Amino acid sequence: MFLALGVAWLAFVVGARAQFGDLTQTAESLEEDGSVPQDADLFPHALPGIAQQGAKDYLALGCMTCHTQQVRLVEAGFDVERGWGKRPSVPRDYILQEHVLIGNTRVGPDLANLGLRGHSLEWLHIHLFEPQALIPESICQPSPFLYEVSKEEKFGFIEISTDESNSRFIKPSLRAERLVSYLQALKQDYELPEMAFVETEEETTESEEIVADLETDATDSGAPTWLAEQISSGKEIYMKAAPGGGLCFTCHQPNGQGLAGQFPPLAGSDWVLGDKEKLIKISLYGLMGPIQVNGADYNGVMVAPGIPPGSLTDQQVADVLTYIRNDWGNSASAVTPNEVASVRDKIKDRAPMQMWTAAELNAELPLSQ
Amino acid sequence: MKESPEQIIDKSLRLVVSFFISSAGLWLLAAAFLAYIAAAKLTNPFFLSSFEAITYGKIKIAQANAFIYGWGGNSIFAVTLWIIARLAQVQGTGIFPLMIGGILWNLAISFGLLGILDGHMTSHELLEMPAEVWPSLFISYSIIATIILVIHRSRKVKDTIAPQWFLLASLLWFPFLFLIAWDGLEINPARGTVQSVISMWFGQNLIWLWLTPVALGAAYYVIPAILGRQIDKYYLAIFGFWCIAGLAPWSVVHHLEGGPVPMWIPAIGTVMSIAMIFPIAVASTNFHSTAFQDIARVWNSLPLRFVIFGTLSYTISSYIGVVFSLPSVAKITQFSIINEFHFNQRVYGFFSMIIFGLVYHILPKMTGKEIGVKAKAFHFWTSTFGVLILLLAYLIGGLTHGVLAQQPSLDWSTVVIASIKPYFLITELAFVILGFSQLVFVVNVWKVIFPSPISVLPSLFRSGANEIVK
Repeated sequence: MFLALGVAWLAFVVGARAQFGDLTQTAESLEEDGSVPQDADLFPHALPGIAQQGAKDYLALGCMTCHTQQVRLVEAGFDVERGWGKRPSVPRDYILQEHVLIGNTRVGPDLANLGLRGHSLEWLHIHLFEPQALIPESICQPSPFLYEVSKEEKFGFIEISTDESNSRFIKPSLRAERLVSYLQALKQDYELPEMAFVETEEETTESEEIVADLETDATDSGAPTWLAEQISSGKEIYMKAAPGGGLCFTCHQPNGQGLAGQFPPLAGSDWVLGDKEKLIKISLYGLMGPIQVNGADYNGVMVAPGIPPGSLTDQQVADVLTYIRNDWGNSASAVTPNEVASVRDKIKDRAPMQMWTAAELNAELPLSQ
Repeated sequence: MKESPEQIIDKSLRLVVSFFISSAGLWLLAAAFLAYIAAAKLTNPFFLSSFEAITYGKIKIAQANAFIYGWGGNSIFAVTLWIIARLAQVQGTGIFPLMIGGILWNLAISFGLLGILDGHMTSHELLEMPAEVWPSLFISYSIIATIILVIHRSRKVKDTIAPQWFLLASLLWFPFLFLIAWDGLEINPARGTVQSVISMWFGQNLIWLWLTPVALGAAYYVIPAILGRQIDKYYLAIFGFWCIAGLAPWSVVHHLEGGPVPMWIPAIGTVMSIAMIFPIAVASTNFHSTAFQDIARVWNSLPLRFVIFGTLSYTISSYIGVVFSLPSVAKITQFSIINEFHFNQRVYGFFSMIIFGLVYHILPKMTGKEIGVKAKAFHFWTSTFGVLILLLAYLIGGLTHGVLAQQPSLDWSTVVIASIKPYFLITELAFVILGFSQLVFVVNVWKVIFPSPISVLPSLFRSGANEIVK
């Protein structure tokens, strides 16, 4: 009787340990002889300390009851297609975690790659505080006990406006900060020798279509090839959520429409189609505070595009600006790398990371000009 | 009047079996209460949302642990102890250590659940109670199990029969599983997803090798005892027993299909789950071909009605389990609330129903007091009704959930989850019915175990008055 159980124990517990209980970190790709290249970056990385603390809070609050943290193999489910990860999860991804929280029920979405979905800190805090403020249908449980709530705006507080008349402001506690750091750190954005990123069919066809579209556009309008190239490279930057990308789509949306009341549109925007110098300045330093776009008021913060912010090259800034000026029905002149370089030179004395305000930009170059 | 040997055995066990049954009843009520809160929180996320100690995640986990260890553990002790002593034809011994063990067990669970609510849960399936209480759980279990084994060893008839195999196997398997989990998760914690494999192996085995054999053993005992006839095709029982012993521990890890573990782990699980149709067919044949020879008496005896509901439920749920472990189906239902269906079907529709039947069989014999037929019938119908609603909601809801989740173009919260919200509402209703039903059960039980204050007080008063008069 014990033998029956013992054999199964040997297989699952001892066998599993022997087979993959001692995996180590490794590089994204190996040398031909199977050795780890010297000086290679080793994955998976350990979570930052604050995120490791956050993992404990995640466990303690019972998040695992509804959320998994595993992207299944392509044959087993449509997790990659749903955008829950760039590739299926493998055992090596979890070796540095003290508590493995892969879960077994998805009443909420999978979180293995939450950090790659481009949610801002504010978004995550508001979602923790009251998910329904962002997604009214959500059944995710609010955690108001992690926040200090105020009716008035104060320093360090995040605004929640579900409706115009009733704004609330919340200040995250230390635990909330830890949790959010943890959630942002959840990403399997590296390849491993045993598992490469999945090229989904949809993606390839989509990008082929875009290229085809651009080509036909280019031939139809008789635009030169360099313009088509700038536009297609700009679109890539616009949509990319990795170094070399601009992460623009997360706020301004893939369709350039922004989100009413939160993020201004780029399609048909008087700013986008207007003065190039202002656009370049915004792209280099970011923008904050009140701004009027097409007559509507917005009040937010946009760090300079790029990962890390402001890291785009002259060519990349030129490409992405040319792109946003020539998609979604927009049509305006291209921006050249030289123009970007000259503006960069003109404002080179500006303190790093100091965002512009709309008033400041308009004072130098009135919009009506 | 001279007492029969059975009555002497019952009398010797009365205190400790009553203790286990009444504490099991309390845990059942606690679990029902928690289940309702959890269900209500899912239908309305703002329900009691400002209290950190009762987040949905914590309540849900605490409920499962209260149910398995509190209700399951205590009722397993009661039923195993009583049946083993009866079959061994010896009086209960070691009542004092049994009581100490029982009290320690219940205290350990209480502290464990408080620990979960206070934010100290572990990430191990069905072992979420903080590791600090694990030693007490293990020690108290060992005390109780040892004494049951001692009673069995002093049996008058050396040959053993099916109920004894199942009950003793389950008695011995639990500490073995517990030690494996303890070693693999806390003493020498495994790295990475090996942890998940061990905890899933433990959690699922807990149901297959601890709860299930007890309920099967109890059914093997009580069906012939009440009907007064032999188990039909009894020679198959030994085959069924060894199939469960040999296959179940292999069949339990198929939930990791496609997950971050080597493929052989879920693959073995799947193959062995399919092989589980043999033991299921054996138990089903044994129970049902015996019971259906005399179905009128089964229907008229409430304990047996509960038990046969449980065995039917076992057969159906296990076959459904086999279907859902096929890779093509598992792909759809994996991670969906169909998991809740499997869990509730097994612990509620099968295990608890059989235990209810057993308790109604044991208590009148032990206390000499009958439980009202109407009260029992009310309990039976509300339980049946509640369980069926609950399971149907989870089954249909789970299928909807799984099918929609497999369509990447559908938005998660607005389409996929929104479409299963109605089922959450139905489960909330089902938990209200079940909670009510369980309250009736506990009242039924407590009424015969504890003398009613209304009948005791006047007699005390009278004797007190007599004293004064004298």
